[in-house]
Amino acid sequence: MPEVRIIAKNFMDMVASMPAMKLDKLYENGFICEAILRSLPPLGKKYVLQLLHIDVPVAAKLLEEWVLPDGYTKHRVAIDRLVQLRVFVEAVDRKNDKTYKLNPTFQKSLQKLLVHGGTLPREPMPSNITVRLPTLDDLEAYALQQWECFLLQLISSSLVEKPSNISSSLMKVFQRRLLSQRDKEAPKLTESGFQFLLMETNAQLWYIIREYISNSEERGVDAADLISFMLELSFHVIGEAYNINSLTDFQRSIIRDLADLGLVKLQQGRKESWFIPTKLATNLSVSLADSSSRKEGFVVVETNFRVYAYSTSRLHCEILRLFSKVEYQLPNLIVGAITKESLYNAFENGITAEQIISFLQQNAHPRVADRTPTVPENVTDQIRLWESDLNRVEMTEAYYYDEFPSRDVFEGACDTAREWNGLLWEDSKKMHMVVKTGVHTYVREYLRSQK
Amino acid sequence: MVNAIKGVFISCDIPMAQYIINMNASVPASDKFIIHILDSTHMFVQPQVEQMIRSQIAKFREDNTYVKPN
Repeated sequence: MPEVRIIAKNFMDMVASMPAMKLDKLYENGFICEAILRSLPPLGKKYVLQLLHIDVPVAAKLLEEWVLPDGYTKHRVAIDRLVQLRVFVEAVDRKNDKTYKLNPTFQKSLQKLLVHGGTLPREPMPSNITVRLPTLDDLEAYALQQWECFLLQLISSSLVEKPSNISSSLMKVFQRRLLSQRDKEAPKLTESGFQFLLMETNAQLWYIIREYISNSEERGVDAADLISFMLELSFHVIGEAYNINSLTDFQRSIIRDLADLGLVKLQQGRKESWFIPTKLATNLSVSLADSSSRKEGFVVVETNFRVYAYSTSRLHCEILRLFSKVEYQLPNLIVGAITKESLYNAFENGITAEQIISFLQQNAHPRVADRTPTVPENVTDQIRLWESDLNRVEMTEAYYYDEFPSRDVFEGACDTAREWNGLLWEDSKKMHMVVKTGVHTYVREYLRSQK
Repeated sequence: MVNAIKGVFISCDIPMAQYIINMNASVPASDKFIIHILDSTHMFVQPQVEQMIRSQIAKFREDNTYVKPN
């Protein structure tokens, strides 16, 4: 079964895949340089800082001497990353040796940043103009609510009472890989759609942002501008108000989309209007691996396979419905049961047992979250068992060989199949063997050469 | 002369293997699909029966579960 995974990594991979011309333009912005510097592996950071004030190319051999022999692989990884991001420019000197030099644009921006300090293009607004700023807790609640509303609309537009302002064409873009629509039927979640719902908020956000950026060219927006604005946004302070008039026209046009996603909150005063970045925005430049934001969970799983979810959110209910049978719903509580049938439904939709278990663990109610195990072991084991029950029979297309003329030929054929990693079964006494279909031609060639 | 046959290689646990063997025994002689029983957990069958076996097993699994009516 082919496994569909949504690759959600980070901004930097996206930056690395941009054409050189655009990259150089991006590096004119000091914040991008800082974000890049932050994202580098430790050795990479060291190299950049050491070469920061050197204007001539440095031989690759010299760089190698800086690390101990057993750090060589890390050295390679760092150098590759730097070259990939075009922070290092590779060249060959007269003696045919490889040399590295910092990208001049990047170097200039970073030097400036180091000496003058980073200043945002806009200052927070004084508090006498911006009355009734939300508290940090309010802001986080707002961001999550906005995000949830967006997700609900994404999976089924009929579920939301007040739809957000995201244009339906943009929504279609986001849905493209998560929903599949056959004519006249209601759209259905695809395999990656199901997996998407079980992902962590940051991973989901990153997926949506990635779609947003990769689709930007079709909407006539420059991807480089978009990336640089989002990275810049991630350096703003959470909860501070920034004047909307300080944005360029282009930025103003996309800030509404970002507000709908919950990245910023827009507010209006008597004369001015301003935006307030939320936690979702500032988490953007952090790579997903090291963002460990834990939300308060809401699920309690009991040993009798009952699931109690203390939640008012319809999204949570929809998610639980993916793999359990929702039995009743009270205003603040959803009660469901994990049954064999409900799980088989989930497995059919391409959700794996591990994903379900990790969802239950990550969203555990605070009352059970510090217990070990968070989810009762008999439940997790049973979920895994039911999954493996589906895979009790393994079938592989293959070829069966018998009647080998001699043991040498038989063993040679076995070795050939083994070399290609295609030997499924052998019986050396009776001289029979089974190989994968893909390896059949190699074995046949071998047998021909033996004649 | 070495002989090669195209087919499907099945690897499963012992009860499942017995179930498949039983399935093979219950069909008329012209529809028999097992070419070789290799050992207690492996067998080699006709290439076209893969889907048939899978759906039979799924049916067998469903027959053994009881859904509480709503």
